[in-house]
Amino acid sequence: MADDALSLAGIDAFYGDSHVLQGVSLSLAEGHVLGLLGRNGAGKTTCMNVAVGLLPPRAGRVSLFGEKVSGRPPEAIAMRGLALVPQGRRIFRSLSVRENLTVAARKPVAGARHPWTLDAVFAAFPRLAERQRQTAGYLSGGEQQMLAIGRALMSNPRVLLMDEPSEGLAPQIVAEVMSTIRRLKEQGLSILLVEQNVKLVFDLADDIVILNSGRVVVSNTAGELRAGRIDLHQHLGVF
Amino acid sequence: MSQWLLLGVNSVSLGGLLFLLSAGFSLIFGLMRIPNLTHGSFFMLGAYFGVTLLQLGWNFWLAALVAAVGIAAVGGVIERLLLRRLAGQELAQVLVTLGLSFMIADLCLMVWGGDPIPFDAPPGLRGALPIASIVFPTYRLVVVVIAVVIAAALWLLLERTRLGAMIRAGVDDEAMARVTGIRVSRIFTIVFCLGAAVAGFAGVIGGPILSVYPGLDGDMLPLALIVVILGGTGSLLGALLGSLIIGFLYNYGQVLFPELAYIILFLPMLLILLFRPQGLFGRHVP
Ligand SMILES: Nc1ncnc2c1ncn2[C@@H]1O[C@H](COP(=O)(O)OP(=O)(O)OP(=O)(O)O)[C@@H](O)[C@H]1O
Ligand SMILES: [Mg+2]
Repeated sequence: MADDALSLAGIDAFYGDSHVLQGVSLSLAEGHVLGLLGRNGAGKTTCMNVAVGLLPPRAGRVSLFGEKVSGRPPEAIAMRGLALVPQGRRIFRSLSVRENLTVAARKPVAGARHPWTLDAVFAAFPRLAERQRQTAGYLSGGEQQMLAIGRALMSNPRVLLMDEPSEGLAPQIVAEVMSTIRRLKEQGLSILLVEQNVKLVFDLADDIVILNSGRVVVSNTAGELRAGRIDLHQHLGVF
Repeated sequence: MSQWLLLGVNSVSLGGLLFLLSAGFSLIFGLMRIPNLTHGSFFMLGAYFGVTLLQLGWNFWLAALVAAVGIAAVGGVIERLLLRRLAGQELAQVLVTLGLSFMIADLCLMVWGGDPIPFDAPPGLRGALPIASIVFPTYRLVVVVIAVVIAAALWLLLERTRLGAMIRAGVDDEAMARVTGIRVSRIFTIVFCLGAAVAGFAGVIGGPILSVYPGLDGDMLPLALIVVILGGTGSLLGALLGSLIIGFLYNYGQVLFPELAYIILFLPMLLILLFRPQGLFGRHVP
């Protein structure tokens, strides 16, 4: 069996003394979208931080296509093909739109089907092309989200992590972001999608993992969960 | 009349030297949050390296360039071996860099002795240049041109290159820059070495004006601090204008109110700290 695109195995992670992730295991199959759900404070962003190398786990292992990456610094993990669209977007505010993209540019790995370049990102997000000389901090929320996605794509990742990409956006922009994710999936990118919006996740995801207080409480295919044999409300609160 | 004009030229050329000194200090503080109190030592050490090469018969400009490279190496070692371990601890950085500056001063005293070592401007630039019935000291004009060229080069590097954008990205959000694959640590070392190199270079080209002597470091460091506080940290334009202001205050102050020289230098700094702590041109992030 082929290696998973990304896997977290038995991850224990701490902020200071607080034990935020307790034995978390999840795997993202190549070409799939894995939806990661959970209440506020469940540990979703912490999983992202562990995967990208910002928060080294105290126990457990993160692997990218079978290669262990935990313990490596973030820039080394990025070079191996992991990219993040972070919660809150975190674009480089004082840089121009164009600079936000060019600083992230990396050569695609050999044989990449859809190499991302500045032109490709501008074609995918025409509004970024129009605003390319503008200081990124002055963009609207939706435009900043497009820029955060474009920046992640510029590194030609093999695995894309997206942390609440719909947060704080108008419905029309959310729809646009979702169709972008769908398109990326069709191009074969493996995506780990964190969302509060359960409906969006069920529309897109092949597999679902639910976290509760730093533990995995549900891990299944989206199809099984749609069939409704598990009480999502119990794990996610009111939706 | 011509005396005042001459004082103006001296002010601008001192401003140029101060810019070369404080640009690096300002970038290192503005970008890396390191208050590098060895910056005056880089200036002095550069001058000593330069004068030694001149005594060996080297060409002046080559000596200045090689001294700059030497100081970049010294800066790189200090940044990698010491400051890197103290990231985020500003008080420790102040103490370590201050301690280092005393150690460097001692070493210089041991190697180069206690007497000032004067050195000459490159041949051909020693005389004076008559422009419209006023004679200007040629070398000082050349220093001004060099400072302007280096200021423009630094600005282009920071604002118009991918490396410059990476530096600014690292300042905006260091964690996110690393996640994006930018080697922030290596880039900050480059900034530190570059700042050190420009200060060392300034020490050599300032030599024909200031000479080099024990205590040159301590004379220059406070001027760099005032410049940076006036102009705002992390801003090249701020460093440039702050340097010019201090260049003028220093020269005219010494002629007009010799007994108040320090008040004239430090008073603007106090006012800025009180009323506009980010400096005249502090970095603005939307
Ligand atoms: N930098 C930090 N230092 C200390 N504790 C933190 C830090 N970041 C998060 N936490 C805590 O860790 C827990 C998990 O946080 P995390 O950000 O991973 O949750 P999340 O599932 O992403 O929540 P949200 O949906 O609100 O984004 C929370 O209890 C949070 O308070
Ligand atoms: Mg979160």
